Formats: sequence, structure tokens, C-alpha cells
Amino acid sequence: MPKPIRLFVRYVDAVNRVFGLIAMYLVFGMIGILFYSTISKNFFEPSLWTLEMAQFAMVTYYLLGGGYSMQTGDHVRMDLLYSRWSDRTKAIVDAITILFLIFYLCLLLFGGISSTRYAIQYGEESYSSWAPPMAPIKVIMCVGITLMLLQVVATFFKDLAKARGKPLS
Amino acid sequence: MSYEFIALMMFSTMMVMLLTGQRVFGAIGFVAAAAALLLWGDGGTEMAFSAAMKLMKWYPLLTLPLFIYMGYMLSESGIADDLYKMFHVWMGPLRGGLAVGTIGLMVAISAMNGLSVAGMAIGATIALPELLRRGYDKIMVTGVIQAGSSLGILVPPSVVLVLYGMIARQPIGQLWLAGVFPGLLMAGLFILYIVVRCRLQPNLGPPLPEEERRVSWGVKLKLLRAGILPLLIFFLMTGLFLLGITSLVESSAVGAVSATLAALVRGRLTATVIHDTVRKTLGVSCMFMWIILAALCFGAVFDGLGAVKAIESFFVGQLGLGPWQILIMMQLSYLLMGMFLDDTAMLVIVAPLYVPLVGALGFDLIWYGVLYTITCQIAYMTPPFGYNLFLMRAMAPPEVTLMDIYRSIIPFVLVMVFGLALVTIFPEIALWLPEWHYDKTR
Repeated sequence: MPKPIRLFVRYVDAVNRVFGLIAMYLVFGMIGILFYSTISKNFFEPSLWTLEMAQFAMVTYYLLGGGYSMQTGDHVRMDLLYSRWSDRTKAIVDAITILFLIFYLCLLLFGGISSTRYAIQYGEESYSSWAPPMAPIKVIMCVGITLMLLQVVATFFKDLAKARGKPLS
Repeated sequence: MSYEFIALMMFSTMMVMLLTGQRVFGAIGFVAAAAALLLWGDGGTEMAFSAAMKLMKWYPLLTLPLFIYMGYMLSESGIADDLYKMFHVWMGPLRGGLAVGTIGLMVAISAMNGLSVAGMAIGATIALPELLRRGYDKIMVTGVIQAGSSLGILVPPSVVLVLYGMIARQPIGQLWLAGVFPGLLMAGLFILYIVVRCRLQPNLGPPLPEEERRVSWGVKLKLLRAGILPLLIFFLMTGLFLLGITSLVESSAVGAVSATLAALVRGRLTATVIHDTVRKTLGVSCMFMWIILAALCFGAVFDGLGAVKAIESFFVGQLGLGPWQILIMMQLSYLLMGMFLDDTAMLVIVAPLYVPLVGALGFDLIWYGVLYTITCQIAYMTPPFGYNLFLMRAMAPPEVTLMDIYRSIIPFVLVMVFGLALVTIFPEIALWLPEWHYDKTR
């Protein structure tokens, strides 16, 4: 594999490890927000923002963590046939079928960018009494999808290298 | 091209994509996004992302990462070790008693967690080695753990019932209550099966040897204390939710906090444990969330094609079946598809197609939720595609082979089908408790 590609793979892996680490600990953010909501609702004034904030945290969690989960191979496959193939065959098939995954993520990102552009242009707000602006969360979503896309492209290069018999270590 | 044909094409393309072994969310997402683009051109480009916005609005899904976190935290907390010891001493003298005790352990864990992952992890690491060491038959033990942990999604709290509740627009509290007795019934049937089987073939589950049985009553009673903490966690989480003190998503946060506290109290809460827990939680949550994201897009395309109407006209018009026949056909088709397709995706794609029809036929949607969940349990266990099978393979000790795992589930699946039939014939098993609770609070 040419050097730029190896560098690309290494950097994407590193960046997603960092975002993965952030996302991992965000679970405490979700727990904290909802636990605060429980306490405040029963003992003090109920707060308007908690549920929506928790929703934003959830979306951030799985989208920012997506790339990392891809890197660590957490995504389940149907391995009826797959598990019986040699590593080489797996890599060859993966290198082809992952292009379909890239197509899906591109469409996801395309829709995300157009929706974000709309949110910024018209100052879209959520339909709730708290009414937060929607642009920030949509930007985060686009970042998460981009990270996933980059990781999938990196995985494609790894598969390609493996298929050619020279895996990127 | 007729819409039915397009829908059929989408389904079979998804099937082929899944068979290539590409990641499930990619296979489903691709078919959905490509179909949207082909069908509606420019108008279809935003469908994939709309699914992400829809997922955000499905806020009860917040319970998913929190229950996963809680499950891992509970298995680290060591609560399960004590519980296992309790069941071990109390049930050990019976023939097959340790297997019966393991079912008891699984029920207790199911009552604290809404997924089968926790039960599986605990069963495979704590109960399985212990049972194998005592000369229990490995095929039976593997089946016991898989079947027992599948109760996690039927006994409240349950994430599958949360997902169902969102799709069918039914109150989740009622659904959870409806799962209680069917869950206990299922556990009872498992126990009955184990006891009868071990009576007929005593070598499958020998009782504890004489010297191990001699435990004084004082020690025995002391061991019962292991049950206090789980009961407390169950009350804090599900109890407060049913009393209306916490909302659904808040209750899962309370559960997560109490599991963390339980680990802290027992001195197991180290930095390594925390890091491992959040890392595994992120992995499993992302897996499920991305599948749901892709499946929501797939479902939206199906919806746009009018697949609900097509299925209705197929069952009612073309086959001319009565309501009960349709119901049974639906369950059978779900079981069949559940064998080959991804089970979470099935839930998100197929439930929206079936639920309106079930409602239109005049069936109770709470009751159907329970039937649906039992069917899911079976689907999670049946090869070639089942999460429980994956997990079992990853966690089981090396002497348990893949063939053992496949063979182990056969009797339990039969027992579960029998349980499913019982709940179908006697809806009161599921509906009695929610109706009683509803009457009382009215």
C-alpha cells in the first residue's frame, strides 16, 4: 500500500480512538442527566430540558462512538457462510461488499448535511417548551457520520491490503 | 413493477447482502438507501438521515445503553456470585438441582436487567464452569443458560418490550407487567423439563455429593441474604417506575446508578472495571443502535410502498384466512424469518407491518406484545442467526463446541413453543396483572 494510504489509516484509527474514548464516558452523561431529572422532579422543581438533553446525548453517543466501534469490530455479521471462509477470502469479499456500506454512509451524510444547512439557515428550533436550536446537534451528527465514513474507508484499505496478501499491521 | 414486487425484491436483496457476511447494519442500510433513491430520486436522498432524527425522537431507546451498562456493571459487581452460591446450596441436593438453581439465578438477573446479555455473561462465566465441574451434561447446561438468559427480555424490565411499545404505541408499564407471569411460566416450564429429564436420565444432572450437602441451617439462612440486594435494585428500578415515581428512561438511570453503587459497596469498582464496562457498553450499544438506524430507514421505505396494506390484503384477501389463522401464520413466518435475518432488525422492520393488522383483527396489542417477545426469544436462540448463539460461542469454555450449542437449544425451543401456545390460548396469563394494576390505580 502506498504511504499516503497507510498514513491515512493510521490517522483515522488514532482520531477515532480519541472520539471513542469521549463517547464511552458519555454514558455517564446520560445517566447523570436522567438521574438529576429523577431527583429534581421528585424533590425540587421539574426541569424542562433533561429529556431532550438526554436524547441529544444518546445520539451523540452512538454516532461519535460509531467509528470506534467499527475499528474494534463490534458490528455483528451474519456468519452462516462467512465463518467458514479463509481469512483471505473474507478480506476479498469484505473489500467488495464494504463499498455498499460506503454508499449507505455517503447518503446518510448527504442527508445530514442538507438537514444541517436547513437548520442553520432558518434557525430551526425543536418543537418543545425548552425549544433548543437544532443546528448544534445536527452538526455533531454529521461529524459522527463522517468519522464512521472515514473509519469504513480505512477498513476498506485494510481489507484490500489483506486481500492482496500484504496486511497493514 | 408492482409495489409488492419491489418489496419482495428489497427483502431478497437484503437476504443476499446479509449472506455475504458484511456487517448487518451496512447490508440493511444499503438496501434501504438504494431503494429509496431508485424509487423517489431526489426525494429519497434524505431518507437515511430522517431515520437518525426519528431514532432521536424514540427517546425510550435511551434505556438500551443504560441497561447494557447496568448488565455489565452487575456482572462485575459480584452480586451474581452470591446469588449463585445461594441457589447452589439450596437446590444442589436435588437431581438436576444446580440446573434448576441456574434458572432461578437467571430469573433474578432478568428482573434486574432488560437484555439477555447480562444473564448470558453471568451464566457462562459463573454457572457454566461450576456445573461442568460437577459432572452435569454439557449440552443440557449450555441449553439451560441460553434459555434462562433469554428470559431477560420477557421478565420486566425488558428492552424488547420497550421497542415494541414504541412501534405499537402501547404503554410500556402495562407491557412490562404483562411479561411477568408468562416469564415465570416459562421459567417454571424450564424447571419442569429439567427435573423430569434428570429423573429419567440421572447421569445428566447428578445431585451434590454427600459431604457438600452437609451445610448447617444457619449458614443456609445466611446465604439467603444474597437476595436482598437484587430485590432492592428491582424495587428501585421497576418498582418506582410502576408506582409512577420515575419515568421509564429515568428508571433505567436509577438502575444504572444502583448497579454502580452495588459494585462500589462490594469494593469491586476499580478504574479498570469502569473502563472495561464503558468500553463494552459502547461496543454493544453502537452495534444495536446502528442496526436500528438502518432498519428504521428500511421500514420507512416499506411504509412508503404501502407494505402494510399489501400484507393485509395478502392474508385476508388472497388466502382468505380467519383472524386466528392469520395470527398463527404471522408467528410462524416471524419464527422462520428470525432464523435467517438479524433479530433486532426484524423487530424494527416486521413489527410495524404486523402490529396494525393484529390491531385491525381485534386482538389485544398488550397481549400480542408478549407473544411477540416470546417469539423474539426463540428467534434469538435459533441458528443460524441468533444473538444468544453468538454470545454463547464467544463466552463458552472451549470444550463446548458449536455443535453442542446448536443441539443444546432443541428441547428448550420446544418448551418455549409450548409456552407460547399456552399464552396464546390463555391470554389471561399475560393480561391479568396489567388489568389488575390498571383497575387499582384508576
